[in-house]
Amino acid sequence: MANSLFSTRTLDCKDLHVYLKTLPSHILDRLYNHPATCLAVFRELPEIGKHYVMRLLFVEQPVSQAVIGLWINNRHINEHHICTRALSDLRIWYEQPLPGGMQGWILNSTFKTNMKTALLGGGEPWTGRGAVPLPSDKNSKDVEFLDKYAVERWECVLHFMVGSNEGKDGISGDTIEVLKHSGLMKLEEGEPMPFITPGGFQFLLMDTPSQIWFFMLQYLDMVDSRGLDLVECLSFLFQLSFSTLGKDYSTESMSEGQQRFLQHLREFGLVYQRKRKEKRYYPTRLAINLASGLSSITSDSNRKGFIVVETNYRIYAYTDSPLNIALLALFSEMLYRFPNMAVANLTRDSVRAALIRGITAEQIISFLRTRAHQEMAKEGPALPPTIIDQIRLWELERDRFKFNDGVLYSQFLSQGDFEKLRDYAKDLGVLVWDNNQKRVMVVSRAGHDTVKKYWKQLKQSGNS
Amino acid sequence: MADDDDKGYRWETEYEKTWEVLQEDAEGSLQTSIDDMLHKAKRRKLLEKITNVRLGMMRHLFIIIDMSVSMGDQDLKPTRLICSLKLLESFIEEYFDQNPISQLGIIVTKNKRAEKITELGGNPRRHISALQKLKERACQGEPSLQNSLELALQTLRHMPSHASREILTIYGSLTTCDPGDIVETLKILKDAHVRCSMVGLAAEVRICKKICSDTHGKYTVILDESHFKDLLNQHTSPPPAMMNTESSLIRMGFPHQNLGGDRTGHKPSMCMCHLDSKTVEGFSTTGYFCPQCKSKYCELPVECKSCGLTLVSAPHLARSYHHLFPLDQSKEVPITDFDPGQHIFCSACQIEIQEQSVYQCKKCKCIYCIDCDIFIHETLHSCPGCSSSRQTQTAEAVFV
Amino acid sequence: MADSTSTCSLVVIILDTNPAWWGRQSNHGNPKLSLSKCVDSLMTFANSHLMMNHLNKIAFIAAHSNFSHFMYPKRQQREVTDIDTNIGEINDGKYELFDRMNNQIKDEIKSLVLKNMEVEFENDSLIAGALSMALCYIHRMEKEKPIGVKMTSRVLVVKASEDNPAQYMNLMNTVFTAQKQNVVIDACILDNDSGLLQQACDITGGVYLKIPQPQGMLQYLLWVYLPDPSTREQLTLPARVQVDYRAACFCHRNLIDIGYVCSVCLSIFCSFSPICSTCQTTFKIIAPPKLTKKKSKKPTT
Repeated sequence: MANSLFSTRTLDCKDLHVYLKTLPSHILDRLYNHPATCLAVFRELPEIGKHYVMRLLFVEQPVSQAVIGLWINNRHINEHHICTRALSDLRIWYEQPLPGGMQGWILNSTFKTNMKTALLGGGEPWTGRGAVPLPSDKNSKDVEFLDKYAVERWECVLHFMVGSNEGKDGISGDTIEVLKHSGLMKLEEGEPMPFITPGGFQFLLMDTPSQIWFFMLQYLDMVDSRGLDLVECLSFLFQLSFSTLGKDYSTESMSEGQQRFLQHLREFGLVYQRKRKEKRYYPTRLAINLASGLSSITSDSNRKGFIVVETNYRIYAYTDSPLNIALLALFSEMLYRFPNMAVANLTRDSVRAALIRGITAEQIISFLRTRAHQEMAKEGPALPPTIIDQIRLWELERDRFKFNDGVLYSQFLSQGDFEKLRDYAKDLGVLVWDNNQKRVMVVSRAGHDTVKKYWKQLKQSGNS
Repeated sequence: MADDDDKGYRWETEYEKTWEVLQEDAEGSLQTSIDDMLHKAKRRKLLEKITNVRLGMMRHLFIIIDMSVSMGDQDLKPTRLICSLKLLESFIEEYFDQNPISQLGIIVTKNKRAEKITELGGNPRRHISALQKLKERACQGEPSLQNSLELALQTLRHMPSHASREILTIYGSLTTCDPGDIVETLKILKDAHVRCSMVGLAAEVRICKKICSDTHGKYTVILDESHFKDLLNQHTSPPPAMMNTESSLIRMGFPHQNLGGDRTGHKPSMCMCHLDSKTVEGFSTTGYFCPQCKSKYCELPVECKSCGLTLVSAPHLARSYHHLFPLDQSKEVPITDFDPGQHIFCSACQIEIQEQSVYQCKKCKCIYCIDCDIFIHETLHSCPGCSSSRQTQTAEAVFV
Repeated sequence: MADSTSTCSLVVIILDTNPAWWGRQSNHGNPKLSLSKCVDSLMTFANSHLMMNHLNKIAFIAAHSNFSHFMYPKRQQREVTDIDTNIGEINDGKYELFDRMNNQIKDEIKSLVLKNMEVEFENDSLIAGALSMALCYIHRMEKEKPIGVKMTSRVLVVKASEDNPAQYMNLMNTVFTAQKQNVVIDACILDNDSGLLQQACDITGGVYLKIPQPQGMLQYLLWVYLPDPSTREQLTLPARVQVDYRAACFCHRNLIDIGYVCSVCLSIFCSFSPICSTCQTTFKIIAPPKLTKKKSKKPTT
């Protein structure tokens, strides 16, 4: 949680593999019991790792590690090591001794079976596909409607965070809990509603797929407290991300827990259901981007870019959504507003104000880049290099030299002496800096007397 | 530009009402006329080709680059010289792509003198690296057209008569400083049957025009950089052969390639192209061996230094076949000829055609969209519909 | 996050559906590979390719004995999106996208075979036509790709029947075009070695492999042909085949080391003749070797 308004801790958005590595191993094994999870995990592997898995998929017995080492060219042996480590960490394969005694690798059998199911068929149908096909929907919705619905629902959450009145209704207590748990909003005593933290500002500047992924991760953290099963929810989420946009799926074979999860997803705008008891649901673009858009986030495919940045530091935003304009106002100075466009200026003061609030230059730059207008993206880099450099320079300006008075202690005769004195100074809280290798430390002027006295005591007791 | 002299000067003709070309349609939008113009521009290139003329396939071309003071002018970015060198690099690659058995040489003129930078040769990389070194040299003095033409003549004169002899000059200056009478040089050029073309960067110069028209070459002056690129590309296709070009059977060798590896039992040897180099480059088991004298070369096509045999590989000759057996133009069919409700798809790329006209191959009657049509005629040189059917395959029964 | 390009890869699979060769295979007492097994292996290969990256694409062309047919993706009108809700429900665990594609291709092959029962059977297939269609499709996909995405393409040719020598020129044209467009051509040969495809793979930098055991076709596809060209540098793959680039003379179709080339039409002959049989030009008898000519230098004016 952010401790003070001046904290510059960046939001930690884990990618899929890092997240999976934090899960205990029995949960991971249960997770691999569904083809969708295996597909999602497979897609995030490094390139060579993917080929290793494909080659071993149809092999029944363990293959010796030496043979696998020969698969790759000698010059790229580094990548080989990175891949083997990644595959082992994710428990996709594990070591097994061969009959001759040498070590070999074999694919995790659950993983292997389910990958083959995804590729070749067989096994259970995925959730959402019932044995009985759904009759065609009288009120079928087309892709445009789904996009609009998804954007509207997700922006409700974002509006709520910014505190504008548009988001007041439609947010359930569950969502507020997630926002508080993730550190994006904070509830002070005496205040009726929570307000946004610096972490929250950084969250707002991220692009939509990252936002949704971060949010879902936080939600999944709290899933046990709601009585839902993590494995069920996660595998349902992955299946959702592999669905086809515009097609409806049935809720027939879904368990109780999954149904409740579906209702929450409906609130965030990841699925659309006409009524709560409706037997069919439509996944929206937000859900589909989830597992596939993680490592290659180029542009928001559901939202057209609307920002044009000029080399004279002017920003033209072709939007009328108050949320976008509020986000833009976080780091730039608004000049004019028209019915379809807003004009802002990037000045040193406005960017500094954002930096002080805890937003980093990288976040501002990626915000501008992911929402860049299509015309800008067509020719070369989407943003002018001068602007990018200048924002970074303004951030670096804040790295200044701070002068602290202190006293230098050096030339210790032994490591033990150095460490004793250093620990004592640290306990007192007057240690400013130390270097273990050179046995040098700096103590603040105020604490210098106390430390000198202690040192004299030590020497006397040592000698005598 | 000034191909027809009888038209007179531009200010003497009627003024052109260029604004009338753009027509607004019923809703006041200009989109249809813009689409129309783009469409015509795309087709224009294809329609300009002349067919049924004998082409000079083996070409010996000298490029003369003007490096006088006027080439330092900045009307082409960053300077005329650097812009020309950049475009010449892509010209050289395209030239060897279209004429694999031809040769090229580079001459530079400045300070009233001419200097040969590279000899006539068939290896594009050598020429391109020489061009890149030229970028560092300064532009000085006055150019000399006569000296450079005579320097090129010295080598071209001795070339066998079945090959075409050509000179292409990039001229940025409006003057020339010559030691003698250039009309004499012009007479010698005509007698030696050298075809001289020029690309002017500044304005039209009368003596250049005379030289080009007397030797049956082309003289053009550029408008801007993209026009410069277009004009250069016109010189990559083989020109029509001159009347006197003798046809003869040229003796050529098709060397074996040895891919190396110790299993074949071949011993490593030094290749002939890198004999003079100070590094060990070229010492290996891989390479091509001349069938007559067994000397090793790294790349083809090349003329064997020991026995004089021209070495090529079969794909090199195959690259030129599309000039000899060009693809016929397709017929333009307006979309109204088909049923109104029917969706028409291009038989090559499967896209639904929504333009006003489709293109139909005369032999196999397959329908193509305009992008595929241009792609087929400019790059692919063979119709997918015709190649897929036994009856309409390339009708050259000689290959069977 | 700073890198703003993502890469995707398009693979066009060309399957040689010569009915004579496949028919002969199934008549064997001990069939090594039947058409349905081959199609199954190719489907799995296509699924694996799509699994690698969510932006990857695939296309399928059948090269029959007298025409080429584009099987997947089917022609669509521009306004209609590609959701075909009429396809029956899937009742197993296969990923939806794969299922749809597999069913479509199987249906197309079935109809291809059934509609062409009356055709005369030949011993070879016309690969050049299918290759040119593939290149046009790749050219169109290059234009239609979204901004910021880098696309690499390659063509996989699965061939079983013999070469047709009359295809030489058309095939070489497509190969040179592929080289210019940076498209790699791979060849997976089931039965007869094909000199034409060897040259094609060598010029474009692809892999040529004659499969020693056709029953293991899937494993070869996944090991050798699945990685895209940039990954291939990192893996160890079968060695390059030595390609014979000698030309065949037009009179006897023998491979020759030294020959005579007509300067007008570039036809190749093994021995000197006064008239070129292709373009009917007459040649004069070869003059004595150039050495004497070179030595006499004419004085320059």
